[in-house]
Amino acid sequence: MDLLIIFISAAVVNNFVLSYFLGICPFLGVSNKLEKAFSMGAATTFVMVLAAMVTWLINNLILIPFGLPFLQYVSFIIVIASLVQFVEMFIRKTSPTLYRSLGIFLPLITTNCAILGLALLSALREYNFIQSVIFGLAAGVGFTLALCIMAGIREELDLAPVPEHFKGAPITLIIAGLLALAFMGFAGMLSG
Amino acid sequence: MKKIAKMIIVLSVIGLVSGGVLAVVYQWAQPKIIANQIKETDAAVFKVLPGTKSYKKAVSGDLTYFNCFDKQGRKLGTAILCKGNGYQGEIRLMVGVNNDFSKFTGMIVLEQLETPGLGAKIAEQKFYGQFTGLATKPPIEYVKAVKPEKPNEIQAITGATISSRAVVEIINKSVKQWLETK
Amino acid sequence: MAGNKVKKSLFHEFIKGWWDENPVFRQLLGMCPTLAVTTSAINGLSMGLATSFVLICSSFIISLIRKLIPNQVRIASYIVVIATFVTMADLFLKGIFPDISKALGPFVPLIVVNCVILGRAELFASKNNPGRAFVDAFGMGAGFTIALLVLGAVREIFGSGTIFGFLSFEPLVIMILPAGAFITLGLLIGLMNYLKDITKAKEQPAPACLPAGRQAR
Repeated sequence: MDLLIIFISAAVVNNFVLSYFLGICPFLGVSNKLEKAFSMGAATTFVMVLAAMVTWLINNLILIPFGLPFLQYVSFIIVIASLVQFVEMFIRKTSPTLYRSLGIFLPLITTNCAILGLALLSALREYNFIQSVIFGLAAGVGFTLALCIMAGIREELDLAPVPEHFKGAPITLIIAGLLALAFMGFAGMLSG
Repeated sequence: MKKIAKMIIVLSVIGLVSGGVLAVVYQWAQPKIIANQIKETDAAVFKVLPGTKSYKKAVSGDLTYFNCFDKQGRKLGTAILCKGNGYQGEIRLMVGVNNDFSKFTGMIVLEQLETPGLGAKIAEQKFYGQFTGLATKPPIEYVKAVKPEKPNEIQAITGATISSRAVVEIINKSVKQWLETK
Repeated sequence: MAGNKVKKSLFHEFIKGWWDENPVFRQLLGMCPTLAVTTSAINGLSMGLATSFVLICSSFIISLIRKLIPNQVRIASYIVVIATFVTMADLFLKGIFPDISKALGPFVPLIVVNCVILGRAELFASKNNPGRAFVDAFGMGAGFTIALLVLGAVREIFGSGTIFGFLSFEPLVIMILPAGAFITLGLLIGLMNYLKDITKAKEQPAPACLPAGRQAR
């Protein structure tokens, strides 16, 4: 039950993109085609789950026992950066097809604040290992969801008469605002 | 080979310098951070249990509470730290109960993520003020849109019933938990 | 971006971040903190200042050690330098301004992944001397702070009906909600695009000039 609450909370109620504003850059950047958005979402979810595991281990097995909480940010970001690099190399070696569809997004993930945000939030909330992993998975699912919805809308938007100066980022942001409003409908599911 | 050695050396030096600098800054900031946290708890405890001069922290399971004493060292009551899920995220609050556990002496919301302008009103005096003097038994109830009549009732915020209910449930749950530890 | 060959005036490096290359309104960088913490003018200002501090210090240091860092590990080195300054800023805020630190929450550590900072390190500080890097970072930081302050002020005025605590009328709740952040920023960027076009007065046929009511919202 507890895990379910964490999942629903991170995936829809407190959606990373629409209510925590994490991962806005890729959200604006690659949300113009549905297929691309889904690949990006999948890659991010994968890295998120991995990052949730590894940063939890680092935080609870190294930083806390040795009293080094001030190294949290430095070590988390290094871990995430190397993790992304590693995943990229691994995918390139094992599956060239997958690499072709995901590869270009991987470097982008390093500076995706959703990943670091995930690591920091789960450390802040003192989740245990399982909770962290579920949190990572849910955050990834929520990110993919938001990205895909956005991409779906933007594909239609190409046909809409948007005022000249609002083309691109401005209209995307406004739509994101409306989506965020819609997602507010999920709030209240937590206290049930 | 030489290149790799240089890479490793440069990275290690940067890492070491960074760690060293941070350790120094941490040494400087840590006492201040702890002092701030203590000040925050102080302020909250003194607010929910007026007249408190000193308190003792107690932890049982995941429940934290503070036994409060007045100037002469007599026990005044207990301030209980409560947390639970609200409308959009976790709510943390503190309630004070008097020594014979007949009424609440005050309530204060420490952290909340409720909707600004609606649910966030739980952090306003108009709402949390209702808890001062409220009867502890039976558990708190809330009423909508009408004036509370029974001594254990509060009025929910218009447009934010869920947040109001969440606060009531969080308090009832934590108080029950606290009674069980006694 | 200003390359090494064509030396532009220091003043230009300083002023470009304010408007022409404003990181938020023009380059669309650093969106996460921009949207998240600008529920009030004071929050926007503190976030802007914290980010500027990190940006200026890390640009300066990175430029200072740019010749010592092997190319392959440069990004890793930059990130460590940036994360170090972020931790310092975070500890400082927690120690001296606990209220601000609480209001900004996890968005202080998230300065690490603010693309403005890594972007300036990679595009400017790694190619220029410390003096120029400092000036560039100062200008960009100022631009970022201004953008956050404007956004925070607009949202505070409409959302809470106050400005730095003063003024008062019936607020539009939506402006402080996440939705309001997106919509306000969208409208502001649209307005900036419009202003840029009319100030430049390019003779390009501007198709379908937008109706005035559209941005007045």
